[in-house]
Amino acid sequence: MAEAEAPAAMNPREAILSRVRGALAPLGARAPLPETASQGSPASGDPKAEFASRLRLAGGELLSSPGEIPGRLAAGGWTRGYCDPSLWPALGPVFGRGFVVEREFDQGRLDDYEFGITRAAGAIAETGTIIINDALTSRRLAALAPWVHIAVLRRCDILATLPEAIAALGGDPNVIWCTGPSKTADVEGILIQGVHGPGVQIALVL
Amino acid sequence: MRFQPIDRAAARLGAAERASVRGGAKSGHEKRTSLLFGDFGDPDALRRLAGGIRQHAVENLDSYLPAAEARMEANGVRVHWAPTAADACAAVLGILRARGATRLVKAKTMLSEEIGLGEFLGRHGIESLETDLGEFIVQLDGDHPSHIIKPILHKNRAQIAASFERHGVGPYDEDPEAITRAARRFLRHKYMAADAGLTGANFVVAESGRVVIVTNEGNSRFCLAATRCHIVLVGIEKIVPRDRDLALLLNLLARSATAQQLTVYTEFVSGPKAAAQPDGPEEMHVVFVDNGRTEVLAGDCREILRCIRCGACLNVCPVYRQAGGHAYRSVYPGPIGAVLSPLLLGEGFAGKADLPKASSLCGACHEVCPVDIPIPDLLLRLRARAGREGVPSPGVPPFGAWSILASRPAAWRAALAAGKLLDHLPAGLLPIPALRAWEGTRTLPRWRGGEFRKWLKRRRRRP
Amino acid sequence: MPPSEAAPGARRVQLMGTCLCDAFFDDVAAATVEVLEYLGCEVIFPPGQTCCGQPAFNAGDWPASRRVVRHCVDTFAGDCPVVAPSGSCAAMLFHGAQLEFEGEPDRPAVEALGRRTRELGDFIVNGLGTRAWPGRYEARVAFHHSCHTRGTASGAAARSLLGSIEGLTLVEFGEGEQCCGFGGTFSVGFPHISSAMGGLKLSHVRAAAPDELVSGDMSCLMHLGGLAEKGGAPIRTRHLAQVLRDALAGAGPAGIGGAA
Repeated sequence: MAEAEAPAAMNPREAILSRVRGALAPLGARAPLPETASQGSPASGDPKAEFASRLRLAGGELLSSPGEIPGRLAAGGWTRGYCDPSLWPALGPVFGRGFVVEREFDQGRLDDYEFGITRAAGAIAETGTIIINDALTSRRLAALAPWVHIAVLRRCDILATLPEAIAALGGDPNVIWCTGPSKTADVEGILIQGVHGPGVQIALVL
Repeated sequence: MRFQPIDRAAARLGAAERASVRGGAKSGHEKRTSLLFGDFGDPDALRRLAGGIRQHAVENLDSYLPAAEARMEANGVRVHWAPTAADACAAVLGILRARGATRLVKAKTMLSEEIGLGEFLGRHGIESLETDLGEFIVQLDGDHPSHIIKPILHKNRAQIAASFERHGVGPYDEDPEAITRAARRFLRHKYMAADAGLTGANFVVAESGRVVIVTNEGNSRFCLAATRCHIVLVGIEKIVPRDRDLALLLNLLARSATAQQLTVYTEFVSGPKAAAQPDGPEEMHVVFVDNGRTEVLAGDCREILRCIRCGACLNVCPVYRQAGGHAYRSVYPGPIGAVLSPLLLGEGFAGKADLPKASSLCGACHEVCPVDIPIPDLLLRLRARAGREGVPSPGVPPFGAWSILASRPAAWRAALAAGKLLDHLPAGLLPIPALRAWEGTRTLPRWRGGEFRKWLKRRRRRP
Repeated sequence: MPPSEAAPGARRVQLMGTCLCDAFFDDVAAATVEVLEYLGCEVIFPPGQTCCGQPAFNAGDWPASRRVVRHCVDTFAGDCPVVAPSGSCAAMLFHGAQLEFEGEPDRPAVEALGRRTRELGDFIVNGLGTRAWPGRYEARVAFHHSCHTRGTASGAAARSLLGSIEGLTLVEFGEGEQCCGFGGTFSVGFPHISSAMGGLKLSHVRAAAPDELVSGDMSCLMHLGGLAEKGGAPIRTRHLAQVLRDALAGAGPAGIGGAA
């Protein structure tokens, strides 16, 4: 019943690959790779509008100008946070007194940051997804640990469909598609927002 | 009369647990179906297409695995190969020891359960903490997951609250939101104190060397933001040929598993952190695990290797809904488990050969599988193997004598006539065990053997 | 329009009565003959027939099953359609047998038999082109799709026939896609789960308050009917063939041959 044991001298890689080859040898023709046509819904109209509506369906929120940030944060009672220093020239001016916004993230004080503002690489309209990566995210932790994450992206970087977003993955070692705030339904199937990742996911589209 | 273990387990399942399992599974199935048919014109065509892609990948692992390895190494990833579960555990331990690491945080991976990694690491002085909420709760309780996607489908809020109180995670509070917040607070600092993070991989793309991880909670992201070493534990069969093939598979996976268009986080990880990124792993390792998969590849059930672990088959399965996941005595329950567990799990085929029999072969699993695995056909092949290997099957009558009767028309017709005697026997005295078992819960219809043939003869004689 | 009225040679079919009808449900086999003859078929009943071999196949005793399938190949020699009042038996021959004969030298003959084998409802609608059924049948009918008709045209065919009968109202019930729990030897190997599945199905059916439960498979009806009766609340079960035949009894001359 068992396959012949790989010879003791064979390294683990060869042991596995030789078993794979042996297993596949009796096959005549191998199953071909089917061609996949695009299954994304055809891009309809304004990508930003579709992104906004899908983002909301996923439990996220959209802001369209830096001026909207303080009001939204204050409404949630979130006054202490972090902002990517490269965004500060554009965003700093909107924060009045009552906010403490650090431009360096101290991971020893994780709980001090109620919000984190970082750059996003783009978005996917048909799913309401924010695309972040290593190159544009000043600190991975800043986009993840605070209760509120504000992802700042440009309207022109909103892609229409999922296949387009796959094509745009590129060489960044850590591309993350974020579709709404973190969630779980492990407890009796009841959906709860805000688990390990943010409980509030905001996209600021400029 | 001896009965099958899974049937006994179903009989013993408590009412509350059965209600949780049934309700959760049914809801999962209905939402999945509604979303797939709402979003796509022909979801069944998509399932067959995805099945074709995965079958092709499985049948070409001899070229795709080396290709994936080459890309990964070019991206700065260390690739390890583990022929057995023990090799995989040793590989993970080796990576941790080389870094002097003693604390590991884990995202959800069924493969780590399959190889017994947590226990192994514990014996070697490594603290290994589950971070997926359901798996965290399972670990706290010393319990086992009962569903591959929804590990605590069998638990209710009161049980979880009690467990949290017992283990110092938080004060007793049954509110699901409070439970979730308590876990968030507790685990947050564990991430930051950990030395390494271990994840599985939903897909490995041969063309680019990308590892794809899908989650909802953000726990995998945290493992990769808070620690300096990333270990990916993945079965050799998880290969996808090209990045573009991911589009279809991702479209089907989350809809099939959790009735979402996409899970909240889809991570495409192809190497250690970018040089300029302050947070994240400086080292990334991928451990390719065989553990019996090459044997499955060589056998007549290789289609099962297409599986992308969505759990849709569990949700629709009427047997799973009655028996619950623990009845399968295995890391992989439900229809997928009924094929994988006898083939992969250490104790050998005979020890789990009853799993493929726990099915009415209704085919609902095949109908919902996003990669179109013909599970009933595979169950039948495993039953045939059990037959060849002489594995006993309690409660199922032997068929040798019957098949002789059914290939001798004169004997068959005689039996049809003789069967009338059955009508005169009390149920407990029926000579055939199968008929006695039937009579336990159902009435047998009256015996009418030979009556149709007589009717037909009369009809043919009429002018 | 029944083809017999147009064609000189009536359409010949071989009837596979099924072992269940041979043993318990003679009226279903009789109704099948009557319905097929009404449609102008010449119905041959090869007397040497026994069973399709499925029970042994499902149990994993493939050598035993193959012996019986080989007997079917001999019994049903010929090239006309083989019609069975059972989605389960038909699927055994066109699908199951193909699995157990992989690598067997007589596989081509088994494949050939499989290609000729049709379930009754599918044959009536898609083999003979019948679009509507004449006559009258006053009843609220709950129709149960047997699992072996998944992925085939049988379920839709049966529904279209039943739905076209005057006086017949098809009623829907919950979780229609879930198995009744029979599954052949599963019903005796896993009696607890099998009965629980059947009980669940019955509760959904009863909630729709039908007059009868109809299916194209007596195996399902034997299980559900037997459960209901044992439980003290019997339900009336009828096979598709019986409903079609009984509807004809209500048909006047003008009703015969009417097509939608």
